Amino acid sequence: MGSVIVVTSGKGGVGKTTTTANMSTALALLGKKVCIVDADIGLRNLDVVMGLENRIIYDIVDVANGDCRLEQALIRDKRFEHLTLLPAAQTKDKRALTEAKMVDLVGQLKVNYDYVVIDCPAGIEEGFKVAVAPADSAIVVTTPENTAVRDADRVIGLLERDKVGDPRLIVNRIRPDMVKRGEMLDIDEIVQMLGCDLLGVVPDDEAVIRNANRGEPIVIQPNTPASLAYRNIARRILGESVPLMQLEEKSGLWGRVRKLIGGR
Amino acid sequence: MIVNSETLSDAKPPVTVKGTRDGLLFLLDEQADMDHLCEYLHSLLFGETASIFDGPVIEVVVDYGKRALTPEEAWRILGQFQARDNFLIKSWGGGTDARQSMFQRKSSARAQHIYHGLVRSGQPLMFDGDVVIIGDVNPSGHVQATGDIYVFGRLLGIAHAGMHGDTTAIIAAAEFAPMQLRIADVISRAPQLKATMEYAYLMDNQMMVAEMKQFMTWNKARRRHTNQERR
Repeated sequence: MGSVIVVTSGKGGVGKTTTTANMSTALALLGKKVCIVDADIGLRNLDVVMGLENRIIYDIVDVANGDCRLEQALIRDKRFEHLTLLPAAQTKDKRALTEAKMVDLVGQLKVNYDYVVIDCPAGIEEGFKVAVAPADSAIVVTTPENTAVRDADRVIGLLERDKVGDPRLIVNRIRPDMVKRGEMLDIDEIVQMLGCDLLGVVPDDEAVIRNANRGEPIVIQPNTPASLAYRNIARRILGESVPLMQLEEKSGLWGRVRKLIGGR
Repeated sequence: MIVNSETLSDAKPPVTVKGTRDGLLFLLDEQADMDHLCEYLHSLLFGETASIFDGPVIEVVVDYGKRALTPEEAWRILGQFQARDNFLIKSWGGGTDARQSMFQRKSSARAQHIYHGLVRSGQPLMFDGDVVIIGDVNPSGHVQATGDIYVFGRLLGIAHAGMHGDTTAIIAAAEFAPMQLRIADVISRAPQLKATMEYAYLMDNQMMVAEMKQFMTWNKARRRHTNQERR
């Protein structure tokens, strides 16, 4: 029996889909059987980020309506055998996917996979409720901005009310240089305010956007900071204790010289 | 959400007797069955333990609450009191002064609550009485109480003390950086306020903030004041 994780945030554009794609790919890289469920119906993106857009025939609403079998809608990733995507519908009526249907559907997936990762839509309305209903645990993604942290706080409150296991936090798109200058909320401050466990910190990395546009999750490239961060997150989900990586901006030659002579 | 930890005692007797400064106050339960009430009253006044009412003439107030009595029922009850020689019925009614002063005293001994945990954004909490929050009140988190609010943590959200109009209520916090303060119907923004161990109170309908070390003297004055009003 696998574990069901919902990735949520409240606010849009903080990187739920990117996090879902990369974290799931990283879990698959570590040898786990993973199924990603895109619950953002009407605005599906997960298939684009994964580069699987052109393989979609059936989607989650078809399954909910009984127009196809669950297996027919599942798309196997082109790179990893262990990784499967259940895509969202683009145009169909999303009301067909009720909380009960979602619980039933994910319950079937759970049997065959180690992890079922649900990409939640932004907001806290019906779509959120449907996505959260089958979850065993939740991961809340936020960025170091006041608005995102505020929404994360609200969402954590809702998750606690719905008794979705201890939500864990991913702080996305942090910019160490800005934190250093005191222009960005720092991680300790965010964790203290939200009062939940930190699962990982992902630095702001241009490569993430570049790769997403190409339909390749960043984790596939082993040597970027963001990739490493996602891999660490996956290892923490598996229960390893991996220390947070040092977020330091790459200092140039002069920076290194200054460090040598004892400057900051 | 109203959080109220007051326990209600079941099996309440239909007649409650209270001793007041001027005599005895009989409170008749307004929901009890009429026959049951009369029986109980009879055994109380003339039964085995009735001797506790013996002695010199004593003034008696009988209060039947919100019950609508027919003249016969009224006589049925009153007759029992009159049958006792040493009872002098001073007052008879549904909302006697004696009862009201009783209730006022009861409500001024406010319920106290302790809430453990974070108050998150969009999570309104309401308490009847005073409350101590052990944890932070996050931005947009909303705490309301009919009495005082003490935050043993960071107050970054909205606190509303004395929400039913108690202007003597206060808001105190270990780290005092609220988004908005409300006491009774006075609302104030607290711009860029960030202090440790402070409390807010009303003076002439103005929101005031002072250091916690002054609270003891202020609170003493408040107690004296409310005690006076009660008399």
